[in-house]
Amino acid sequence: MKDEPVSTDMSDPDADPDSPEPGEPALDSAVGAPRGDVTREWELFVREESGDPLTHAGSVSAPSAEIAREQAERLFGWTAETLWLCPADETRRFAADGVPLSERAEAGTPDRHGGEEA
Amino acid sequence: MISVSKLLCDLDAEGDGLRYDAAAESEKAQIRERKQRRPVVVWNCTKQCNLYCDHCYAAAETEPAPGEMTTAEGKQFLDELAAFGAPVVLFSGGEPLAREDLVELVAHASDAGLRPVLSTNGTLLTEERAAALREAGLKYVGVSVDGMPERNDAFRGQDGAFDRALAGIEASQSAGLKTGLRYTITRHNADDLEDVVDLLADRGVDRFCFYHLDYGGRGAEIRDVDLTPDERRAAVRRVCDLTREYHDAGHEIETLLVGNYADAGYLVEYARRELGEAMADRIRGYLLTNGGDPTGERIADVDYQGNVHLTQFWQGYSLGNVRDRPFGDIWTDESNPLLGALRDREAHLTGRCAGCQYQDICRGASRLRALSAGDDPFGPDPQCYLTPEERGVDGESGVPGAAD
Repeated sequence: MKDEPVSTDMSDPDADPDSPEPGEPALDSAVGAPRGDVTREWELFVREESGDPLTHAGSVSAPSAEIAREQAERLFGWTAETLWLCPADETRRFAADGVPLSERAEAGTPDRHGGEEA
Repeated sequence: MISVSKLLCDLDAEGDGLRYDAAAESEKAQIRERKQRRPVVVWNCTKQCNLYCDHCYAAAETEPAPGEMTTAEGKQFLDELAAFGAPVVLFSGGEPLAREDLVELVAHASDAGLRPVLSTNGTLLTEERAAALREAGLKYVGVSVDGMPERNDAFRGQDGAFDRALAGIEASQSAGLKTGLRYTITRHNADDLEDVVDLLADRGVDRFCFYHLDYGGRGAEIRDVDLTPDERRAAVRRVCDLTREYHDAGHEIETLLVGNYADAGYLVEYARRELGEAMADRIRGYLLTNGGDPTGERIADVDYQGNVHLTQFWQGYSLGNVRDRPFGDIWTDESNPLLGALRDREAHLTGRCAGCQYQDICRGASRLRALSAGDDPFGPDPQCYLTPEERGVDGESGVPGAAD
């Protein structure tokens, strides 16, 4: 963890990035910044054929699960066999191998804009 | 983006190299060939705006939004854009001048090898800030004005916005920045178009970008003021005529049409009627090089929270977030079936687009409008105003009136 602020859901003990399970890779937490403020964001997963893996295919903005489903169907109904939607604010995102932007950014750079605290 | 002045009057301008491969014949700085494969990236670096415009695709608010990318994140993001080979970063918003660190970010983009340009409502652009932006390496300022004072101010939600935008334009010009106009054409302001061009051309503005309304953000809520096909046809024809009239009078203005590649087909037809077959063929060749609608290919958008979008207007769907992965990794990940299909859309377009003779220079125009109007990302764009004859299709009904 660097000095970057994290969203409140990352304080959930179930997702505490500082307490990885023994043998698990060290997980970073700084990918937990908010995704959508006015409208809720929904992570979208698509399976095109039954033998295919379920693949992350971005996210949609929608105020409810039903509207998110409608939007996902409009975007991927032409190809998807299965659609999964997960509220982004209920989804724990960890970077085990990749490094999130906040930590790719130059460490110690004075932040004159405030970020999440702005 | 289609340069009407380039196509009809053979003007040259910075940026045309990106659109028409004009680098070899231009004396002005051009974007290099090798970078044309990468998208121009719009960065909505803040959602905050001091105005509240009816048509704002970013649904900007007057209060700060949470989760805005920090200065350090912004710089790293710009470095990653430069490493990916993005030729241009367009700082947009919200109102980008609401960010206190804008000059710092522009300088960082310029130092990284990106061409930084700015889209602003102009009302916060002082001479001091414009000078600092120029010093930082800013190459161009586009100021949004959507009509003469009364209509503009009503549209933008603030009395005096027109006068303050003009003051911003003057500040930008005084700092030596190339400055242009951004104008979204609707039924509210189509009648003001010519007066605004005349007013600003007199003040030394020589670049006019006319946007068709796209159905994103608050723009989706004002479809009732979008132009009818006949009105759109008349407006585009007026832009063409106006460009040639200025050119013939010795006052060369640069005019561009943005957001509806049915314009490409219309321009070829216009040239055939007004300028002859040879010119029409030449224009079609330019437009073929241009490549038609750029969604998901030559234009990309990253919002203030780092979400990557297919265009700046399509904020309701995100491919991924640069806080998770570098932009280039997201943009080249065609495991996303929508992204892959948009890049191979000729195989997917349906309806009137499927058999159109101008499909190669239009590519179905706005996929967002198609989705908004017909629930199908590969259906026809409701803003198409070409006649069946122009599209090379006989016996189809429900189309605009007689061609002109």
